[in-house]
Amino acid sequence: MPTAVQTLASILRLPFYRRVVVVSGGVYLILFLIALQDISRGGRAFQFLTVPFSRMFERTGALTFEPIAQLTLPGLTILISPVNVLIGLGISLLVGLNLAITWLAFRQPRACRFNRSTGVLASLPALLAGGACCAPAIVLILGLQVSSLLMGVFQVLIPVSVVLLVITLKLILDRTNPELLASQEYRGTSPAAQ
Amino acid sequence: MNWIHMALLGAVAAVGLAMYGFSSHPGDGADPALPLAEANYVLGDDIDDYNDFMMSGGPPPDGIPSIDDPVFIDAAEADLEPGDKVIGFYHGGEARAYPQLIMVHHEIVNDQVGGLNVAVTYCPLTATAQGFERGETTLGVSGQLLNSNLVLFDRDTRSYFSQINATGLRGEHRGETLSEVNLVWTTWERWRAAHPDTRVLSENTGHLRNYSRDPYGSYNPVGGYYGQDRTMFPLMHSSNRHHAKEMVVGARNSDTSVYFVRSDLAREQVQTAGGFLAVYEPNLDTGYIYFVGDDVPEVTPLGEGSYELGGEAFQAGDLPLEQLVPVEAFYFAWHAFYPDSAHP
Repeated sequence: MPTAVQTLASILRLPFYRRVVVVSGGVYLILFLIALQDISRGGRAFQFLTVPFSRMFERTGALTFEPIAQLTLPGLTILISPVNVLIGLGISLLVGLNLAITWLAFRQPRACRFNRSTGVLASLPALLAGGACCAPAIVLILGLQVSSLLMGVFQVLIPVSVVLLVITLKLILDRTNPELLASQEYRGTSPAAQ
Repeated sequence: MNWIHMALLGAVAAVGLAMYGFSSHPGDGADPALPLAEANYVLGDDIDDYNDFMMSGGPPPDGIPSIDDPVFIDAAEADLEPGDKVIGFYHGGEARAYPQLIMVHHEIVNDQVGGLNVAVTYCPLTATAQGFERGETTLGVSGQLLNSNLVLFDRDTRSYFSQINATGLRGEHRGETLSEVNLVWTTWERWRAAHPDTRVLSENTGHLRNYSRDPYGSYNPVGGYYGQDRTMFPLMHSSNRHHAKEMVVGARNSDTSVYFVRSDLAREQVQTAGGFLAVYEPNLDTGYIYFVGDDVPEVTPLGEGSYELGGEAFQAGDLPLEQLVPVEAFYFAWHAFYPDSAHP
């Protein structure tokens, strides 16, 4: 019986799934940084500013941290907060991996010992992770009222979504047969592969 | 240890880190230097009720960093549009303008103006710009909100203060009122015309932020949160008497409080209510409030912010009456703190 790590390695050996991880994870990371307002519209001329590295661990929110560099371009401002980027990268990787195996479960349910609809459930924690970064921004845009209970929920959304992402990843990997994946039939880059 | 155990452990550590900032309340200390008002302001509710209602706005203490070493530039160097909002302060022959687009990211500037140590404070959610004498200490943003309004703390005693009622909520200064100074919430065009030699807070704040953007909306033109008839956080008292974001000019003393709708005051020039008298100042689009009690004097507008009282002409801010520190605020915020305020 292969371990979850071995199964994951088998999946990632296939270029198609590597691309799913990189593209979906990359898109999530950008959305995460936009939601944190580390990437935002506005900015007049080219400018690059820095502050001491030690500032990177100063918290601005429950799990958000100070930027130590700022790149301003005409119409775009990028704040570089290493800890925010690190957290974003971690969640993005988990989201990317979950989406890759969701794709696998949907396209090749035999390899995952799931039916298609069950496999798609793996994407739910990824959606929750999306809410984790975007919820405060959505509240602001829609002008919703925030209770103290909801504020408390916001504080733990990121850690909770990380746990759920890891659990679903582990559960699905345990039910995936890497030997089936290795066959040409399951390299599945097109619908005809099935 | 398998993956799931590791994930749970990591989550517990992350939640612990997240909660640390909210449970770590500032400690004790001595701060004889923080200037306080001679008489405490009247409050709309009991301080225990304020503490029960206070809630986290998200950031930990100092998570919204105050500007503690402000740098100023000349008016000619400032990259501001005429209609951009600024907070103006004039004292001891020095004029300062604090652009709203910088203040929205920091909320407090610990400054010295005309030899006076002041904290210029701004709450974007309630549109309140209030100045407090700070003595030798500095004020910071606690990250807590009360009726959507900024709760600040002094860094020596770590007492928490509500901005709008300028009064200590917890800590050594509980129940005590800060000594307020009069700030003006106006546009860059109006402030510069009134004070051509004003100095302007620079974007060189010591922090990195996108100062061309307000995360809540816009004042020039009005948009986003600032124009919506909705509020974001729970209120102790709410009313539909006016649009939530209607600007009012309020004031309070040790016994009572009052508010005047700024647009009504601009139209009528002079208004009275509950023993208070308000006059409009058109150059800065603001109001001044005086406590006159039952003996309301006859004040006649002469135009251009000048008023006649007892046969003499005075500027709106110079009437020989008991002047209070006016606070401009969104209506919903004033009502949440002072539901029994007198009004015309």
